[in-house]
Amino acid sequence: MEIKNDVKNSVDHLLRHNSGQMVAVLTRIFGFCLLDQIEDAIQESLIKALKTWSIKGVPENPTAWLIQVAKNHLYDELRRENKSVSFDDEIRETERVAELAEKRVYFEDEISEDQLRLIFACCHPAIPKDSQVALTLKTVGGFNNREIASAFLAKKTAIDKILVRAKKRLKEIRDRFDIPPPDVLPSRLDAVLKVLYLLFNEGYMATEGEDLVRKDLCFEAIRLTKILASHPVTKVPRVNALAALFLFQASRLAARSHDDGIPSLLSEQDRSKWDHGMIAEGLTYFRASAEGTEISEYHLEAEIACEHAVARSFESTNWNLILDSYERLLAIRPSPIVSLNRAFALGKVQGPEAALAELRGLLDAGMEDYYPFHLTAAEFYVQTGRNNLAAESYMKALKLTANESVKKFVKKKLERIV
Amino acid sequence: MPGYMLLLHSPTDENAGLSAEEIQSVIEDYMAWRDTIASEDRLLGGDKLTDEGGRHLRNENGAIRITDGPYAEVKEALGGYFSIKAANYEEAAAITKTCPHLKYGGWIELRQIDEH
Repeated sequence: MEIKNDVKNSVDHLLRHNSGQMVAVLTRIFGFCLLDQIEDAIQESLIKALKTWSIKGVPENPTAWLIQVAKNHLYDELRRENKSVSFDDEIRETERVAELAEKRVYFEDEISEDQLRLIFACCHPAIPKDSQVALTLKTVGGFNNREIASAFLAKKTAIDKILVRAKKRLKEIRDRFDIPPPDVLPSRLDAVLKVLYLLFNEGYMATEGEDLVRKDLCFEAIRLTKILASHPVTKVPRVNALAALFLFQASRLAARSHDDGIPSLLSEQDRSKWDHGMIAEGLTYFRASAEGTEISEYHLEAEIACEHAVARSFESTNWNLILDSYERLLAIRPSPIVSLNRAFALGKVQGPEAALAELRGLLDAGMEDYYPFHLTAAEFYVQTGRNNLAAESYMKALKLTANESVKKFVKKKLERIV
Repeated sequence: MPGYMLLLHSPTDENAGLSAEEIQSVIEDYMAWRDTIASEDRLLGGDKLTDEGGRHLRNENGAIRITDGPYAEVKEALGGYFSIKAANYEEAAAITKTCPHLKYGGWIELRQIDEH
């Protein structure tokens, strides 16, 4: 077997992505009733890769190698369970897949088609909403339960439970999973986009010093959105808008905190640290999102993120445009958090008093316990010279967060005004 | 320069719970080590042995008895080897010390290939 020495040059997260691809390919062939056996076979193939590749190097076509090993293990298991007789067709089908994979004609397209099916399966309406994200990460993303738990700052036992329940549901749905037909596609697609949105935001909330796996959630959300954006059936404008939004946001990941781990506000960030390659890619998706007449919530969010991404400086940001986008977003998706952001933009356009008046109206909307609300209020109080009220707001924010780096950040702000 | 064998012994039950990501980083570690040795022109080769434990053959009073290797019962097994070139045992041991195998729960039996 030919050996490729430069594993570093191979894709990041090669094995994680491959295990997601294997679930996609093998569940299409064998169905979800064998999901547990398929997962075991994949783990087995990864362990075998560990033992073999660490001595002999990564093979020329790692995907084909892994599928072959997983497939063999699955057969052995099925034979042991005396199930082989009823699987003749599937076995022939896997043979074909493995053979094609070996000849390297198992197209990228075909794999991403399988992955698309799998994404829709994980976000099927019969799967409890709160389990869809974890299930997607596990089966499509190739994360294991421990990684999912640390990504969501949850206990592993809780994730175990959620996944057992979700997989049970998946097996109960007897219909063959396909890319949904046109009549239900929009609603099924929306469910998928919501899951990706949650996935991204969970990762985006991660602070410096936390487990790296949390930031991986952002890149996983981007990867899956790109799969949707590249398939003829799912590359609709709002998918492109979501991809653009993620890329604009992710471009700032490296600049979001100072070297000491303290969060850095948009106004203070070193814009040269932003990932301009990602911004350029975001712009491409953003342009593609304008094909058609649809303006989704993701379009508006992408528009806001885009303005921030391309503005030369915080001061030269087009706040009028951002305010307008927030107002339209509020019309589609009313939420106190959108209102809070709108109030901030209003403050930039009309001055701090206008923002503070807005903010007072939001207190009744349940913002009292939300620490970013108090940080925003404090900033506008400082601008109007009311340092006592600002200090009061900072103290409230301090009480509401357990995040150490946010606490440090607030204390620093407090020191400046007291 | 004499050749040396690095016989890689590993616990048989390790790794079961590793994630794909962790497995990849272990592999990358080994490959980086291997690349370094190869770039110094010291790498002769390496192979992985199959997992099932092999066969034991013994002459019992003139009859050859073949038994399965006791893979399932043992806690560790010889899983593979690297072979390298080094000036002497001291240098070979210094190279072997840096092999990631020692970091991940295994131990290494270092033997000189007798060329006489």
